[in-house]
Amino acid sequence: MNAKHAFKLWMLGFCGMATLAGTPVLDVTPAFAHGERSQEPFLRMRTVNWYDTEWVGKSTQVNDVTELRGKFHLSEDWPRAVVKPVRTFINVGSPSSVFVRLSSKVNGTPMFVSGPMEIGRDYEYVVKLKARLPGHHHIHPMYAVKDAGPIAGPGGWMDITGRYEDFTNPIKTLTGETFDSETKGTATGVMWHLFWAAVACFWVGFFMIRPMYLIRARVLAAYGDEILLDPIDRKVGIAVLVFTVTVVTIGYLNADAQHPVTVPLQAGEAKIKPLPVTPNPLSVEVTHAEYDVPGRALRMTIHATNNGTQAVSIGEFTTAGIRFTNKVGKANLDPNYPAELVAADGLTMDNEAPIQPGQTVDIHIESKDVLWEVQRLVDILHDPDQRFAGLVMSWTESGERLINPVWAPVLPVFTRLGA
Amino acid sequence: MFRTDEIIKAAKLPPEGVAMSRHIDYIYFIPILFVTIVGTFHMHFDLLAGDWDFWIDWKDRQWWPIVTPITAITFCAALQYYNWVNYRQPFGATICILALLAGKWVTIWAAWWWWSNYPYNFVMPSTLLPSAIVLDIILLLTRNWTLTAVIGAWLFAILFYPTNWAIFAYSHTPVVIDGTLLSWADYMGFAYVRTGTPEYIRMIEVGSLRTFGGHSTMISSFFAAFASSLMYVLWWQFGKFFCTAYFYLTDDRQRTTKVHDIFAYATLAHSNKATGGKA
Repeated sequence: MNAKHAFKLWMLGFCGMATLAGTPVLDVTPAFAHGERSQEPFLRMRTVNWYDTEWVGKSTQVNDVTELRGKFHLSEDWPRAVVKPVRTFINVGSPSSVFVRLSSKVNGTPMFVSGPMEIGRDYEYVVKLKARLPGHHHIHPMYAVKDAGPIAGPGGWMDITGRYEDFTNPIKTLTGETFDSETKGTATGVMWHLFWAAVACFWVGFFMIRPMYLIRARVLAAYGDEILLDPIDRKVGIAVLVFTVTVVTIGYLNADAQHPVTVPLQAGEAKIKPLPVTPNPLSVEVTHAEYDVPGRALRMTIHATNNGTQAVSIGEFTTAGIRFTNKVGKANLDPNYPAELVAADGLTMDNEAPIQPGQTVDIHIESKDVLWEVQRLVDILHDPDQRFAGLVMSWTESGERLINPVWAPVLPVFTRLGA
Repeated sequence: MFRTDEIIKAAKLPPEGVAMSRHIDYIYFIPILFVTIVGTFHMHFDLLAGDWDFWIDWKDRQWWPIVTPITAITFCAALQYYNWVNYRQPFGATICILALLAGKWVTIWAAWWWWSNYPYNFVMPSTLLPSAIVLDIILLLTRNWTLTAVIGAWLFAILFYPTNWAIFAYSHTPVVIDGTLLSWADYMGFAYVRTGTPEYIRMIEVGSLRTFGGHSTMISSFFAAFASSLMYVLWWQFGKFFCTAYFYLTDDRQRTTKVHDIFAYATLAHSNKATGGKA
């Protein structure tokens, strides 16, 4: 290596180090999401259809209790690539544990452990949360399926104010003690770690105070190990051995005496019944669907029959947590739902008239908005299984909401015909 | 008290050589050996037994006492080979676990507390220091790695659970939340949200050791002891493989022989007689 080559390498390394060092100076901004948009569209559209998601108490103080609740429908068009939901868990997608989860109920049943759920059925969840870390947090409901992974629901912002130092979470145990989840066991654990580290340092230090490596290697190579095996090492070794085993035994017995009532970790299975099927007088079937790439619109033709006694108006199409509404749907929209996930005037139909009782109609529905691009759902056109699924919501004259799951293959339209 | 003078005399080094060897001891031992073990062993351990060590709700009666000692004894055995065979130093396992815990506590503070805001008690690691000290002392007393594999490795695994029960016994206290019985550890795992770690990810006892009359821990510990014994033998041999240095000597009649005396290499290489080999 000549001087010129060495200088080049040095300069290269210097530039690399300077780049790394400069990174935090140039731009330090917190991450605002959890990569939910990077999940494949078929995973987000055809597994869990979320609806009625509510972030109760969007602004809370540390120690306040709030809720994340909503409902979801497990799509009939469950993808072949995703393992069936035989072991699932309702989770919370958050940047670390900004809330502690006090309880989680699905259809009224506590869900501490995982359990199976049925495709084609609906579930209602209520997660009770206690504010822990101050900040502006993006919170999702999540549906985790074993061997498939977590599926993120819609994300909403929740603010926590106050000081973390004020946070406490005392819980009474079955033995009558009260443990604070933030601190219980920390001091004992640290004490034992420090104690054993001190014993270990003594043991290593006992050999460190004498020549350690080079001299011993020379002596060993020249004369064997007779000189190196100092009798005092054996004596101290026996003493440390007895001491160690004794302390371990005392520690074990003492802990056993302090906590005579213990249970193993609980690993059962949550048995959750789906919500009862409510009679739906409207039947909806998608006969054709296409995605217009330049127009950023999903167009579908539905064949709908109203078997009820009241006229029904279609007002919303929702998939992957995003919502397309017309004036009917907009009137029923929760104003607290994140605006960035709603195309309030994104739903149009070639026939806006209500579907009369006994009437069968074919309607062309277009859900059009840049949200398809922003939410990266247009990537459906790159999937090996180009289908979509979602929920069509409609309202009767008396205000009753009807929910119809829909699903179909999607044909791509890459160029606007006649343009 | 010690045989230090006798050993230094036998080393046949001038006083400045002895002083220099001590400098080398310190420079090599702390900044190089210790930090290298922190980096390598910590990563190895976390990849194989990480979740059981990270989370309080993974520390069960079946898998935790099996996976942790079997994973931890690996580097201990290799480091014992290196320290014992080359220097007759009986602290290979202890320094290994000390380095592991140094890395662990850096992670607990920096990654789990400062970065992710999980409380210390939720991510408290287990300790294997008593196990490691006993393993080292068995090697010192028996001076025999086979006996250490049989006696020391068994003690290494058997001592793991009672050592850590002193730290974690409280976490098995029962609590009732929403009418459901949980251990405190289960509750902690439920309360502190881990977005990417749903409950079913846990690899814990689910009742499959029922035929042993509920003595899951005993069965697990003895199995861990047996497996640790085998693992010790395997990794002692890894240590041997990676610590064996040799070179080839070509004599005046052009005969080539394999030589293990590394102290002779410099002299012979200078006379162009030593070639090839493995350092």
